Amino acid sequence: MRQVSIIGVGMTRFGKFLERSLQDLGREAVWNAIEDANVPIKDIELAYVGNALAPQLTELKGTIGQHILTSAGIFGVPVVNVENACSSGSTALRGAYLEVASGNCDVALALGVEKLFCGDTARSAAAMAQGTTLAKFGFMFVALYAMQLRRWVERYGVTKEQFAKVVVKNSHNGSLNPYAQFRRPMTIEEVLNSRVIAEPLTQYMCSTMGDGAAAAIVCAREIAPRYTSKPLIHIAACELVSGTFTFPDAEHEPITKRAAKRAYKKAGIGPEDVNVAEVHDGMAPAELLLYEELGFCKEGEAGRMIDEGQTTLTGRIPVNPSGGLAAKGHPVAATGLAQVAEIVWQLRGEAGKRQVSNNPRIGLTENAGGWAADDNAACAVTILKR
Amino acid sequence: MEAPTSTSTVKKQIPIEEGLFYQPATPEEKPYLIGSKCNVCGNVTFPKMQICPRCAKRNTMEETHLSGKGKIDTFSIVNAALPGFKAPSIQAYVNLEEGPRIWTLITGCEPKEGALKIGMEVELVLAKVKEDADGTELISYQFRPIKK
Repeated sequence: MRQVSIIGVGMTRFGKFLERSLQDLGREAVWNAIEDANVPIKDIELAYVGNALAPQLTELKGTIGQHILTSAGIFGVPVVNVENACSSGSTALRGAYLEVASGNCDVALALGVEKLFCGDTARSAAAMAQGTTLAKFGFMFVALYAMQLRRWVERYGVTKEQFAKVVVKNSHNGSLNPYAQFRRPMTIEEVLNSRVIAEPLTQYMCSTMGDGAAAAIVCAREIAPRYTSKPLIHIAACELVSGTFTFPDAEHEPITKRAAKRAYKKAGIGPEDVNVAEVHDGMAPAELLLYEELGFCKEGEAGRMIDEGQTTLTGRIPVNPSGGLAAKGHPVAATGLAQVAEIVWQLRGEAGKRQVSNNPRIGLTENAGGWAADDNAACAVTILKR
Repeated sequence: MEAPTSTSTVKKQIPIEEGLFYQPATPEEKPYLIGSKCNVCGNVTFPKMQICPRCAKRNTMEETHLSGKGKIDTFSIVNAALPGFKAPSIQAYVNLEEGPRIWTLITGCEPKEGALKIGMEVELVLAKVKEDADGTELISYQFRPIKK
């Protein structure tokens, strides 16, 4: 396998864009990435396009990637459409990465694009719940997060104030991010006093609907300097796993833990080497649980990590400098590649007002989605190195 | 089945999905969940599966009826709902007596903090999940706290 670098990233602002089409959003992200990479469009040899809900919410019912890329001036090359619920973006990156790593091509594009606002909120909400066959019974992802957190709270005594602190941190980060959907910093009181959606989760702890796109251009390391003079960001690991069952006589290993283990092994590093991370906090307090599952702290110590400010922009290991899913927004299939874009900017030192202060060399993204067997349907952990 | 009140008009009721549970034909019968059991490793699943997820062998799964007794693994009182569903609802994971851990709606108690506890004993009940556009009641398995 060859070494692979990310030479360009780009995204749209996340938000509610009723007047913009999937093609419009995808084109902007792709061309932002192309300009960032300084790569001639004819050098892009293939593309992976992640999307989850277009068939249900837009007029595009299939071959979504081809429709979007044609409008962006990319055609004739192999286009692979991928769907993995909220992990679709990372899954697209993995496809592009493996094509280059295998030597099949030198330059490949990964795009994640989603349009959830369709003018009918009920229709969008119903579509977003379709990541599992349990949806017909009324299963809701917010309840799932709430249930996971309740068990964990009872075990370790994590408080609602600590939950709210995650939102305070992430909304502050989001307020500094021009790409974020929500840019208002929030206080602990505001977060705790907002409507209870699913005990112990309140409204401001939860991510909501969004439109947007994000893209990355990957390239064989040896030829990357041909295109760009920016610091090269290498893909040290891009691991994907699916959920497992729980058996009464065995400990269930959470999907994120399994994905992270594989990624650390592949990258030849441990969690202590990670300087900055973007994690899939569909509900912001879940970020705390992820600190433990990703190994950023020991089991039961996540509450202390947030109390001590270890994950703020100036902390030991900043987490979700972009604002995370609740502040930056969560256009399902765009999220994974937006996380990757943020880590690339952070590692290059290009993140502006939200630049982390620890001069990061190693960054991580964690992107989980759907629900199958007895866990998330998919989870991708990517490790990037400067 | 929760008995319809005498004032309500009798509505048509159908299972939300076939093959998940047995709906009693007479008041003497009890409902049960339809699962499967592996005749090699003894693993029990709900719903029914064709391939045992534990030992991954073919043609080892046999249909089995689950008692519908279990304990709450975790739960949440949910004030939001998908279109067509009622809020608040109680959603939970229940560890069934026979082994499987399953997602379910909880009924038969107030959707208030304090009404439920992790580890609480619950039992199967068939109840309405929602109504179709034409008013047909969609029935599914749910669980309720066992009254002591």
